[in-house]
Amino acid sequence: MSKPYTLQELLIIAVAKEIRDHENVVLGVGLPTTAGALAKALYAPHATLFMESGIVDFEPLVPLNHIADAHACRGFSYATDLYSAFTMTYRGFVDVCFLGVGQVDKYGNVNTTVIGDYYNPTLRLPGSGGAPSFLSYAKRTVLTMLGGSFADRLDYLTSPGYLDGGDSRDRSGLFPKGSGPSMVLTTKGVFRFDPVTKEIYLAQIHPRVRVEDVKKDVPWELKIAEDLSETPPPKDEEIDFIRRFAPNMVMGRELMLELTVANMNRKRAS
Amino acid sequence: MTSTNGKIMTASEAISRFVHDGDQLVIGNYTVGSCAELIYEVIRQQRRGLTLYSQSGIFDVEVLIGAGCVERLVTAYVMRAGGKKGGSAAERALRAGTLQMEDLTNFDYNARLVAGMHGMTFISVLEAVMATDLFRKRGFMGEDKYRVIECPYTGKKVVTVPAANPDVCIVHVQRADKFGNAQYWGAMGSVAAAALASKRIVVSCEEVVEHEIIQSSPHLTIIPAYRVNAVVEVPWGAHPTEVLGYYNFDSAMYGLFTMADATGEGLKAWMDEWVYGCEDRAAYIDRYISKFGSSALNSLKAKPLYSAPANYGAAVYSRWDRDGREIFTGLTLPEIETILGERGLLYE
Repeated sequence: MSKPYTLQELLIIAVAKEIRDHENVVLGVGLPTTAGALAKALYAPHATLFMESGIVDFEPLVPLNHIADAHACRGFSYATDLYSAFTMTYRGFVDVCFLGVGQVDKYGNVNTTVIGDYYNPTLRLPGSGGAPSFLSYAKRTVLTMLGGSFADRLDYLTSPGYLDGGDSRDRSGLFPKGSGPSMVLTTKGVFRFDPVTKEIYLAQIHPRVRVEDVKKDVPWELKIAEDLSETPPPKDEEIDFIRRFAPNMVMGRELMLELTVANMNRKRAS
Repeated sequence: MTSTNGKIMTASEAISRFVHDGDQLVIGNYTVGSCAELIYEVIRQQRRGLTLYSQSGIFDVEVLIGAGCVERLVTAYVMRAGGKKGGSAAERALRAGTLQMEDLTNFDYNARLVAGMHGMTFISVLEAVMATDLFRKRGFMGEDKYRVIECPYTGKKVVTVPAANPDVCIVHVQRADKFGNAQYWGAMGSVAAAALASKRIVVSCEEVVEHEIIQSSPHLTIIPAYRVNAVVEVPWGAHPTEVLGYYNFDSAMYGLFTMADATGEGLKAWMDEWVYGCEDRAAYIDRYISKFGSSALNSLKAKPLYSAPANYGAAVYSRWDRDGREIFTGLTLPEIETILGERGLLYE
């Protein structure tokens, strides 16, 4: 029987397990960087971690604030520029990339640009960053969608998944064969893509979540894996690593803020 | 105030001389170490009609748009204050119709600067962008956002973007000498390309150092002196963002900014206090200390973690040995001159 854990910890571990030893890994900010640190510590000691700002082969020291955070590393082996980080991706040297996303459709296409009309936005989201290039050229891409939503039709296609499904991505001739999103992680489960139709399906469900809860979030008839499994509970060593490395991630943004403000008030009072 | 020392000048003088209304202005820094003081000075001097380039728009883009300096924005990323419920100056300006925006991927944005830096008129980019709305939806660049040509060697379709050569780049670095050699280390991003693509370059730095320091570590120099118009020494010049080796990101201050930026009034009040309300960076730091205490500022200061020194040494520093003899021929200079005369090689 392992220790009690938080949902955040479960999610970080689910992502970390997608990293294999000796792989070249590009990490987006937030949950993926903590997952990268965990993977490097426990499952994939020879993985090479990249940030798109050109920080290559870094040793995570504290959680990253953003993807140019040299302050968060215990050193790094190669300081290249952003242009070269992407041409390296284009040439096929990135095995797996992790991206946070806002809106995903049935075939893993991603919108991080706008909700509503592009020219007259309801919500202007951050935009593309490097996501389109990574989702195009990394051998696999893991999408994490913690605050976003599934959509029947994207308001804007920022980053290409499997386009119209089936073999449409490969047929377009624009992408390396076999590339594309390999997994979508949400707070309710792990989704993967059918090898033939490329339609997303629920592969794994988190503890305390029912299939109906997942279906509620999806505007089409979601397919469920025949061998649907439950996300396994974390091991103690995984929990210990995450709590020490990224206590902020464990607490989550709101609780972290509340407790920080309380600490500031305590200091001011004394 | 006119400076008497060549390129060394105040932020106020540098912006007044080198950033003009209607300019294409590029923020050289990418995500980290933003040239905050130079940006605030652009705002204080009320520049108008700028076409702003910022690869990863964070508070830089927000304050410049909020202050009404920007007509057009070229970027790969803008911030959103306070998630879905919040907003941003960029979003408010887009809705009000006062801002035109061109969305590019990180790579395509950087590629335009790389083309500009090397004197090309266009550059090819990664063709998968054709499958996205970045390619299909054009802003003010219209047809010139992306054009597709045929590769003359392979016959394949090639997507291209036009070079960018902004009028002026403002950029913050760790250190520079008085001639303008600018040294920067850490996340390289697109900093060098943004500066070198531009027609004029204003560098601010944490410290101005002796020329010898630059010459002993040339691999750290990303902008050479002959390209630089102004050097501004501004300690804490990137606060509330971070400078590697000097100070960390100030998440508390940035948090206050983010909360304020969720509304137009909030951003205005924040700028009244921290931009318009401080005549320069020294006044800004004074205000910060009086409000949050010097311990808050000190807690951000970097501890030393020096790079291992690299040996730039050579075996030989002179063609003459200790006895004044040329090392290969074993002759003194008068002996060599005699031989030159004997061989008829000296013109009388």
